[in-house]
Amino acid sequence: MILLQSHSRFLLQTLLNRVQNLEKGVEFDNHWVEFDDVRYHIQVSLKNPHILLLSVSLPTPPPEAIFFGGLPSGAIEAIKAAYGVIVQILDPPRDGFNLTLKLNLSKLPPDEGYKHALLVKIASIRETVLGAPLRVILKQLAARTAASNMDRRFAIVHRPNESFFLVPQVGKMMVMFPMRFKDSIDIVLATSFLQEFVEARRTAGLNNAPSCMWSPSPPLELKGAPAETLSANAGFVTFVIYPRHVEGKKLDRTVWSLSTFHTYVSYHVKCSEGFMHTRMRRRVESLIQALDRAKPELEKSKKTVLSRSFKRMSLKEGRINSDS
Amino acid sequence: MANTLRLYLTCIRNTLEAAMCLQNFPCQEVERHNKPEVELKTSPELLLNPVLICRNEAEKCLIETSINSLRISLKVKQADELENILTKKFLRFLSMRAEAFQVLRRKPVQGYDISFLITNYHYEDMQKHKLIDFIVQFMEDIEKEISELKMSVNTRGRLVATEFLKQFI
Repeated sequence: MILLQSHSRFLLQTLLNRVQNLEKGVEFDNHWVEFDDVRYHIQVSLKNPHILLLSVSLPTPPPEAIFFGGLPSGAIEAIKAAYGVIVQILDPPRDGFNLTLKLNLSKLPPDEGYKHALLVKIASIRETVLGAPLRVILKQLAARTAASNMDRRFAIVHRPNESFFLVPQVGKMMVMFPMRFKDSIDIVLATSFLQEFVEARRTAGLNNAPSCMWSPSPPLELKGAPAETLSANAGFVTFVIYPRHVEGKKLDRTVWSLSTFHTYVSYHVKCSEGFMHTRMRRRVESLIQALDRAKPELEKSKKTVLSRSFKRMSLKEGRINSDS
Repeated sequence: MANTLRLYLTCIRNTLEAAMCLQNFPCQEVERHNKPEVELKTSPELLLNPVLICRNEAEKCLIETSINSLRISLKVKQADELENILTKKFLRFLSMRAEAFQVLRRKPVQGYDISFLITNYHYEDMQKHKLIDFIVQFMEDIEKEISELKMSVNTRGRLVATEFLKQFI
């Protein structure tokens, strides 16, 4: 898997399982955590087996990101538009969560294909909620109506206490990521990965991809942002998104890939570290073999000694031999 | 480049062949002790002149000899940040497995990346020319491994970046 999938696999499986055995009443209460500190809670009670409570907790927003009532702006509208009658938003949400949804599984459409698509969409709740503000802004870009918010800066949360920035310009959108990593090895690997993004963009096949820049210092567009948001130990990445990248069906994919860019890089940094360890382990084995070659082969020499010399028998053995 | 590496390694091999003549030698201060003299450096008469072999400023090899032990310390080339990290990671990985290597020193000598300590016991257990073969192969392998690791990081980075950007087309 090179690209990250937008739906939570566990959630999708649970939902499919529920839908298939809708008549059977089960008690169900599960918590789980996904990357970037997104937590889920799902609850089904014996009494109403077709009702499912799904709670989501989002990463804590930094001060510059705009949140209304614990949710990113536009999230509630996005949920309503995406799920329609199946979903009801409960207010207030469950303790410790930002959003609680009441899913009514009996209201699912009967058509199998459509039903499955809708369940996948519910399983991608994270994309719908966290990507809502990004989607709104990119939609304006696609419709080329962004004149009103020109040169304003939008912060969109993507990790606990971290956000990335959107700066709309005439006919395009600058998307800027301050890249931060905790581990010193991660920083170095990620930096070299990010430079590869710039290099890869130059190849002929990717002429239409958004142009990509990397710099160790904050780009000019971020001037005036609070200092703590401008500290990034792996530099800054800027993508320039044109309306052609957000047209029609591409919008969903663009929203998802931009909002998980950091995770994507970090995931591959970890993968390559794992790969390195496998390699190093193999190399250690081959080196130990080389060292073993330096030792004179003990067993072989023993054998030759044995074959040449006489076998010394103990008194007991001799007696057994004579008896037989 | 490959040629200079060959010369460098041949030089180390010849030096090791000459320097590696160890014998059992009990400690002079404490009875019934037998310590590698090159580590303790208690009596100057038991030490021989150290030899420093440099390929360039960044790559060098220090061979210190004494009557019953020999210490080889290597410094590996680190051209950039990435190579530096990879070297550090790889050599740390090796040092942590020093037990399995027997002749590897757990900690490198100051100023070097990795060290070997060969005592007269190792020398008696193993064949001398094979032991030298091992040291030389070790040096070759480290160099090869680090450049391959670097290449694999870069290739992966390129692939990851291409896949990501392809989504927008």
